[in-house]
Amino acid sequence: MAGQSDPSLSMFSAAEVEFLAEDEMVEIVPNLNMDTLNLICGDFGPFRPQMATSVPLWLAVALKKRGKCTIRSPQWMSVENLTQVLEAERDSPAQFQPLPFHYVEISRLLFDNARDDIPDMYMARSLIEDIRDVRFHKFETGLEKISSSTHVVKLKNLSAMEVNIVRPFFVRALQAFAKHDSPQMIHHQQDAMSSRQTHVQDDGPRRDLRRR
Amino acid sequence: MSRYFDIDDIIMEDEHSAVFFKVGANGVGLLDPSAETNRVEQGSRVELPFWLANELYLRQAVSVNVPPCFNLKTRREIQADAACVDLRSRCPYFYELGCKVAPLIGDRTIGSFLLYAFMNRFKDILSKAHSAAFAVAPRFLPLLTKEEMQLYEAACSSMTGFKKWRVGGSRFEKASILGKKKRSSE
Repeated sequence: MAGQSDPSLSMFSAAEVEFLAEDEMVEIVPNLNMDTLNLICGDFGPFRPQMATSVPLWLAVALKKRGKCTIRSPQWMSVENLTQVLEAERDSPAQFQPLPFHYVEISRLLFDNARDDIPDMYMARSLIEDIRDVRFHKFETGLEKISSSTHVVKLKNLSAMEVNIVRPFFVRALQAFAKHDSPQMIHHQQDAMSSRQTHVQDDGPRRDLRRR
Repeated sequence: MSRYFDIDDIIMEDEHSAVFFKVGANGVGLLDPSAETNRVEQGSRVELPFWLANELYLRQAVSVNVPPCFNLKTRREIQADAACVDLRSRCPYFYELGCKVAPLIGDRTIGSFLLYAFMNRFKDILSKAHSAAFAVAPRFLPLLTKEEMQLYEAACSSMTGFKKWRVGGSRFEKASILGKKKRSSE
């Protein structure tokens, strides 16, 4: 599945990534009476006042906009947890902390649409901004380590939006390196010998951009 | 054939490089500005665009010289500080031309020279492209070749796309007309 906005780069726009993130489940506390919703993606509800139930984010936002529910802030979005994550991100320059795959998008949707349901919203928002900045800086310093011997890059715990931002640059950079390092371009001194060696090496050198 | 209609490929093939004619050629005096007759003598040195040099090379009519952008001076500069070398003014299609011209000339060092240049320039300039996207007109911008420029722009555009999404308000703002009505009626 590729994004529709720019077929040449085969990337998603930020809005498209947000659209994908809207399928994540969140917990809501409805204040209306409604039977179970039978949708293609599953059955949600029944909705009874003050009985918590979990629905996709898009449904939660739609209900919230009509004032029919309050959204329960996800566990990971508590200020304590975010502070911990931020500290851990700063302490470990070699790895990313586990966060929900769509944390950037979910947090933005919640901050935009459900600001009264999130305790310490401004604090949480600035923490998430900081976490994102720290993570991105880490990734950027990791980019410098790409070289011609990079065949595979392992990125654990990187989130959807972060991957989406670096994808066009990253793919092209790897392509360029692959092109310039191709055996047609690099001639070794003893062709017969080294060609056998490079074959062996080809599946060898994998560089963990961020070891985990 | 896949790159047949690629405009960059076409422009790149227009780069000039010097060739030596191995055979005399009648009727092509316009190729050699110094020719007095309408004829290119055997052994004369002529500047030809790459596409013509390539075809003549395949017919073994000429031998191709190293294009000026791969000369010793450039190599020394690249070795000294790759990031500061103005490759665009030398040849905007530095890497592409290098890849194409390498099999034509006997010089086997071009491949590794290209790789060395790209690796160092990547490390110094391009790997910072994401955060540099918002500095005002970075000083290295006019030094980049076409390929590097594309990489840099890919990084910039995805970063600006993200920033736009992040600061942009609700996408349903067009309904503000409705909101106004509602407010005025209240």
